[in-house]
Amino acid sequence: MTRQANISTSASRLIVSLLLLLAPVVVQAQRFLKIERDSVPFFQGFAVSVDLVGAAMMYFGEYGQYEGALRVNLHNQYYPVLEVGYGKADHDDDVVTGLAYKTAAPYFRIGGDVNILKNKHSGNRLYFGLRYAFTSYKVDVSRTMFEDPVWKWDTSFSVKDDPCSQHWAEIVFGLDAKIVGPLHLGWSVRYKMRLSHNDGTLGQTWYVPGYGKQDSNSLGATFNVIVDI
Amino acid sequence: MRKVAAALFFFLLFGLLLSCSTIDCPTQTNVMVRYGFYDAAGRVDTLRDTLSIWSKRKNGTDTLLLNRGVNKTALELYISYQHPEDVLFFSVTDTNKVVTLDTVWVKKDDIPHFESVDCAAHFFHTLTAVRSSHHLIDTIAIVNPTVNYDTSGQHLHIRFKAHR
Repeated sequence: MTRQANISTSASRLIVSLLLLLAPVVVQAQRFLKIERDSVPFFQGFAVSVDLVGAAMMYFGEYGQYEGALRVNLHNQYYPVLEVGYGKADHDDDVVTGLAYKTAAPYFRIGGDVNILKNKHSGNRLYFGLRYAFTSYKVDVSRTMFEDPVWKWDTSFSVKDDPCSQHWAEIVFGLDAKIVGPLHLGWSVRYKMRLSHNDGTLGQTWYVPGYGKQDSNSLGATFNVIVDI
Repeated sequence: MRKVAAALFFFLLFGLLLSCSTIDCPTQTNVMVRYGFYDAAGRVDTLRDTLSIWSKRKNGTDTLLLNRGVNKTALELYISYQHPEDVLFFSVTDTNKVVTLDTVWVKKDDIPHFESVDCAAHFFHTLTAVRSSHHLIDTIAIVNPTVNYDTSGQHLHIRFKAHR
């Protein structure tokens, strides 16, 4: 009995301590998420944007994406966002490995941002956000003819339309600056985490539309031209 | 204008950071078939005679896969990338210089394996059938048909007839 009483006392102390520890965090979170009481209407309109980084990657390199976004402005503080894009990779026979890789597919991300600027109605934004993203894509992978190193038989392979898919999440940090009228420019940095993936029959995939190269680091970036509508 | 310059500056900074990508090709890319030698009671058997193994190349010349192995209890051999059946010649020479020759046929399905366009492609295999002549080899059997980068287990067990 005594031992049980001691355990329950310790547990109570632990719970009270944890609650006290969490109290400032909860207060901060409430402040962070609280909508300011002022005369600014809750609904502030829509904005559309395009990403220039993905388009530049597509133009100058062998993979990239065209991407646009629609976001809703709620009290200049909360921004539900839908991002839609079309990612593409076309890597011709690699000079070293002889491999070719091709894919093209749409993708989407859905999530929201929170403006963390003190003066939220200035027209600029400094924000954190979260995204959930998904793409379903098919890959073509082929290897030009090469010689088996031991038996010297001619060897090659070609796989077409191998179905793959991926779910992932992104943590976003970025800023938008009002330039003139409804025009804004901004950038965002994204930390990407794969939630689940089907890499098809070949083992792995290389470029995933909207996610990027799998053998690269988990960071991504966008540079956005934004127009309030 | 200063806002635009600041935004661009930070963007370029992050762009530089992001441009440092890595290539993560696997370090262990040998795809080998591992053979284990066992006696009739299922115990590990040591082949004390000298074992050499070779196969025929596309052009008919020999390619040596194991040269004069002694006291072997297990061995690893290459497997062809895409040939439907590998034919291996096992030559065992005893101390009296008597040579016994056995032939082993290994049938398989070949599965291309892709990691990245920067990493060389390899083939994984599923062993589908194995047979041999029976001069010194008593039986040969598949114990694990999946041949890939995994180096932990054995794929084929060979039981030799009574030997030294």
